[in-house]
Amino acid sequence: MTDHDGPDSDRLPCGVHADDLLHQVVDGTPPRDPVHQASCPHCRATLTHLTELWAPVLEMAREDVRAPADLLQAVMAEVRALARAGWSAVLNDEAGQTQIAARVVGAIARLAAESVPHVSLALGGGRVATPAGEHTDPSAVAGHESATDVGLAGDRVVVDVQIAVDLGVSMPLVAQRVRDRIAEHLRAQTGLTTTEVNVIVVDVRPLPPTSEPLRTTLR
Amino acid sequence: MTRSTDDDSADPLEAVRVELARDGDEVAFAALARTHQDRLYRVALRMTGSPSDAQDVVQETLLQAWQHLPGFRGDSGFGTWVTRILINRCHNLHRARRPVDPLPEETESAPGMPHSPAADTLAVTALSRDAVRQALLALPLDQRAPLVLTTFAGYTFAETGRILGVSEGAAKVRAHRARRALATQLREWR
Repeated sequence: MTDHDGPDSDRLPCGVHADDLLHQVVDGTPPRDPVHQASCPHCRATLTHLTELWAPVLEMAREDVRAPADLLQAVMAEVRALARAGWSAVLNDEAGQTQIAARVVGAIARLAAESVPHVSLALGGGRVATPAGEHTDPSAVAGHESATDVGLAGDRVVVDVQIAVDLGVSMPLVAQRVRDRIAEHLRAQTGLTTTEVNVIVVDVRPLPPTSEPLRTTLR
Repeated sequence: MTRSTDDDSADPLEAVRVELARDGDEVAFAALARTHQDRLYRVALRMTGSPSDAQDVVQETLLQAWQHLPGFRGDSGFGTWVTRILINRCHNLHRARRPVDPLPEETESAPGMPHSPAADTLAVTALSRDAVRQALLALPLDQRAPLVLTTFAGYTFAETGRILGVSEGAAKVRAHRARRALATQLREWR
């Protein structure tokens, strides 16, 4: 298949394809045979005709067409609405639907983790060695991240939680207790099923010298 | 008059924005939408012939792009991908309206007869933009799309081929046929 797939009648009496001349007018390509074209009345007449014919097309193509000013705003409003809808857990019941916002799930998970002995929440990107005898101050270590990150799909929940623990305790043991506690609280309070809890230990909290030895058995 | 355009797949900033948007970053997506909205609207306006339809189609296109971004593999540039969505939506709009609101290509009159009651009027304004708009809308969509993409939106034949899912050569042939058809329409209306 070529550009010249039309009938022979598309040829001018001089043998030049009218399509070639259209191509020349539209794309501004140079003539195949400039010497012939300069002296051929058929070519020059057709070129003039096509140039006049195509002029309003080129003029329209040069129009400065811009999207309406409110288009982007409208799109982003819908995008945000979609994002909000996607960030809710959905529980379907015969009587209706219950949506629980992700931040609510995150708050429950955070409080559940904090209720585990030897755990405090650490916000932000990690910080070591809170001075002995001092409580971890979330606001002091806070970055832009939250202590919990929650993924929701239907009634399934995945939680990432960042914690600080007392120095000397078994971190795997504490982490497991945090997992169990979060799943238990979320099940009891929201009815959601926790499929995964990822615990990130980002800080340790030395105990004051006068404190009693740690019991490794956690409540 | 196809103008060479940069392939947006090679734009590192664009690639970063796509990655961020794919992860749900609304600000990054807004930047992508802002970058491409004018060109998308230009294509939609020439494809539909109606500013309100064009706005609706672009909005739906960008929304669909946001929803399907996780599935965008980056084989082509974001601009190419989102324009493909737009062309498909134009086809959908055309199909949805066909039974009640036929477009001009389906109202062909008998050979030798005036093409429409307004033929005389159109003949007077043959060189005007209105005549071009009418002639453009009279083209079948499979001709209108390559013509709009190359002549009115400045896509190269290669980019047009990627958008339409055909080879560069096929895109060139389709665009050329459309130009010839448009020239014929304009000639008849002069």
